[in-house]
Amino acid sequence: MTTLYKTFRRALTTKDGALLGSIFSPENPDRRAFAFSTNHERIRVDVEFEISGLTHLRDENTRSAWIETLVSYWKIAYILERDDGADVSWVKAYEGQKDLLLAMVRGYTKGNWPHWTLPVMYQICLSLRTVAILSDDQARRLGKTSEHLEDAARYINKAFTLCISDRAPIEESRKWGTYYIVNLMFKTYFKLNSVGLAKNILRVLPASLADMPPLEAFPKSHIVTFKYYCGVVSFLEEDYGNAETHLTYALNLCKADSIRNKELILTYLIPTTMLTKHKLPTPELLSRFPRLATLFNPICKTIKSGNLQAFDAALRHGEEEFVKRRIYLTLERTKDIAMRNLFRKVVLYQNEENRTKIPVRQFQIAMGCAGRGAGGVVGVGYAENGDGGENGGGGMVEADGDTVMRSIPERMEVEIEEVECLLANMIYKGLMKGYISRERQTLVLSGKEPFPGTVV
Amino acid sequence: MSAPPWRSGGTNGNNRNGAFHSVNARKTLSSRPIQHEGTQTLTQTPAPEQTPKTQFPDKLKDYVARTFEDCPPEEKAAVELELKRIITDAFNEKVVWSLEWDKMPLPQTILARKKVTAKEEQTAKALAMGQMNRVSDETGASPSPFIRKPNYSNVMDVDYHGKKRKSSGSSEELTPPAPDRFEERFDKRPRQGDKFFPASGKLSQREKDKRAKRFEDEGREYLPDSATPEVPDNKRPLIGRCMDLEKRYFRLTSAPNPDNVRPLHVLEKTLEMLKRKWRSEANYSYICDQFKSLRQDLTVQHIKNDFVVTVYEIHARIALEKGDLGEYNQCQTQLHSLYREGFKGHEEEFKAYRILYLIHTCNRADMNELLANLTPADKEVKAIKHALEVRSVLAAGNFHRFFRLYLEAPAMGGYLMDSFVARERKAAMCIICKGYRPDIDIRFLTEELGFESDTDCVNFLCDNEAADLIEQKSGDKGVPNSIRFQTAKALPIFERAKKAAFSKVDIKGQL
Repeated sequence: MTTLYKTFRRALTTKDGALLGSIFSPENPDRRAFAFSTNHERIRVDVEFEISGLTHLRDENTRSAWIETLVSYWKIAYILERDDGADVSWVKAYEGQKDLLLAMVRGYTKGNWPHWTLPVMYQICLSLRTVAILSDDQARRLGKTSEHLEDAARYINKAFTLCISDRAPIEESRKWGTYYIVNLMFKTYFKLNSVGLAKNILRVLPASLADMPPLEAFPKSHIVTFKYYCGVVSFLEEDYGNAETHLTYALNLCKADSIRNKELILTYLIPTTMLTKHKLPTPELLSRFPRLATLFNPICKTIKSGNLQAFDAALRHGEEEFVKRRIYLTLERTKDIAMRNLFRKVVLYQNEENRTKIPVRQFQIAMGCAGRGAGGVVGVGYAENGDGGENGGGGMVEADGDTVMRSIPERMEVEIEEVECLLANMIYKGLMKGYISRERQTLVLSGKEPFPGTVV
Repeated sequence: MSAPPWRSGGTNGNNRNGAFHSVNARKTLSSRPIQHEGTQTLTQTPAPEQTPKTQFPDKLKDYVARTFEDCPPEEKAAVELELKRIITDAFNEKVVWSLEWDKMPLPQTILARKKVTAKEEQTAKALAMGQMNRVSDETGASPSPFIRKPNYSNVMDVDYHGKKRKSSGSSEELTPPAPDRFEERFDKRPRQGDKFFPASGKLSQREKDKRAKRFEDEGREYLPDSATPEVPDNKRPLIGRCMDLEKRYFRLTSAPNPDNVRPLHVLEKTLEMLKRKWRSEANYSYICDQFKSLRQDLTVQHIKNDFVVTVYEIHARIALEKGDLGEYNQCQTQLHSLYREGFKGHEEEFKAYRILYLIHTCNRADMNELLANLTPADKEVKAIKHALEVRSVLAAGNFHRFFRLYLEAPAMGGYLMDSFVARERKAAMCIICKGYRPDIDIRFLTEELGFESDTDCVNFLCDNEAADLIEQKSGDKGVPNSIRFQTAKALPIFERAKKAAFSKVDIKGQL
């Protein structure tokens, strides 16, 4: 008797769902022996024999569903273990995996499989996704198009329906599997780059929430993942308020030592809080996540110093990675904070008594124009090279103790209207308090807290 | 046209020919059963009357629950009727307890199936009466040359089973399927169930089992996978025979008729003619219509090559020029996939348009996607560079540069920007009204917001109901000619206008 059958019998008698699920894992060490234990001719008879006499299988429907499931599983094991190593036909494996999933679905619809066997559903859905990805990869290498992952998403959806449509009393309901499957669907849709479908789930889900236990009652691992995806969906919809709530929830609940998950959550939470709270990640936080540090450190530095040109450079430098992670457009908007910091420095540089009325020209100088007249359209930029021009624009920042804004030789000119436009933006967005008097070419700042929330 | 089949029955006598017999027989299958039929079935239900305390098996209760679980309200009535019929039939045949309700297809599924057959039946009827050809010649729609009769009658056969279940059940029992080991065990359950409910029917258990088996087999036919109707084979590309250069667009409702479809070499000439006509006449509604029929002919013949790209590109440009974003988006969607399949055209130009279009629809997810797919070489193309800059200055609220970019947009980009310039002006007005106090020179607004003249600017302000806030001021030393605009009071007006402008973005046929 192969160990796999023994495990199966033990799991069924002790009602050990996790153990039962592990049978269908690709990491199951017994799979190889199982694959070699028999052949296509004998497999059904063998399975029937090996699992005979179990009390749990007295019900004929339950029994036949398990037979079907194990036979399907053996076929996959056969393909993966006995086929020729690297040349495994993932297409065939995928078809087999699909049959396995359908056998599992029948197990729940007709075979009365109890809810504690849910790990079996998890494992089979998970494997379907993995095999679909491998199969698509293989097809792509051969220059063919393959849409197995899309297909897999549809089949995983069947499992989702199985979960939410179960009307058994809640303590023995398949509803407990809902979030695991939903998370798997999220994962698949994100891989497919169709956030729209992910949003669809979030639209469908509330309808079935009524007779479901509260989210907190589910396993933590399910909640963390679910909240993470909710947060990312909100993030992508620019709903930063909700994104912050969801992601913070996920972060707080996340297992302390799962660095990878925390890293994923923070990838979206950091840009979110930069926008919502104008808070940069602390060096201590970033030091614990080297990957995040390389991702965010350069840009955070330029925000802090208010060096707009360096900000643009940092954004361009990281563009590929930012775009890949879908945080580019969000990070781009943090330029406002960098600009606020720059303007704030201009104000602080003024004598105490002049701080409420500042010529727009001062800001223009700070933005890098030494006043050679406004000739033509030029890019937004910032130069700070200590060569103060007529007004000592460089000195003021050095007085602030910042060292970042030097050694960028080229100076960019910014038209006075553009400076005004950006100042007006600051005021409109509530980052500065005051108004522009165009006749006097002056920015009139509020005497109290001209830069709300910055102690100035 | 003759009366629809559900009304033609019984009211007039001229439908006695063979073609209509089948219609009469199938009346109850129509998606809208006639009233008196419905009531008839109801009065025919003796079972509930015989046993005053009607009991239902739990499985049946589940079945009913499942039926209404995801039933859209508009279909509820029809589904209810169908459900009633199923249960009544089951009672009449006394199989309520032996039937495996959990395997029974839901009434929705059965109805959907019937709708399909009803439709095919109508097509077939028209064919039989020889009317179809005439009708199709007039409308441009035509029956598929591939509709094969045997196929069609198969579908009808299936339905006869469903319909005649009541009367002709015995004919099937002549060939009982040999049940295998598993099926036998399946059948044990209803038998055991009968011990608890002995009063159900006179039929022998054996007959009941067979019947249950039959239901099960029929149920299989209705499984979701097979529920989608077999569409007549349209995989084989069709080749047109029409030689006309011009053709009006008609939305096809059935498979195309090769006589009305122009082959590729004719279409190539058509395009040349259309280009000439557009230059000389510039009649957009005519051109658009012609392009649509041209595109349709390409589609139905499964033609995909660089010529198709050209057609879509030209149509897209014309649509842009006329501000027809819906039509433009359809072309863009097609172009997107054509480029991806490797057909050549002006991909960079249209990438730039797409960026601008995504700005217009505020589609951030797709924008992210597009940015991720841009190559470094793409970013060096002038039009794409321009479009990307538009995007980035808008994100920064830098209206000053935005309106500069508007004035120097390359190719057709300006037309696309037209679609969101008005909206961005309102957004810019909000910022200006908040940032500048106490008032602002109209000339400044004209320049900053890219108006062609002060008059245009004043018109814009008046259109937004801010006319009252414009005032003439004589300058300090008595210099007149300074028209000012009061910013503080205008802020709420433009906040409202901005909100309205951003809330309704046309997302027709969104890619």
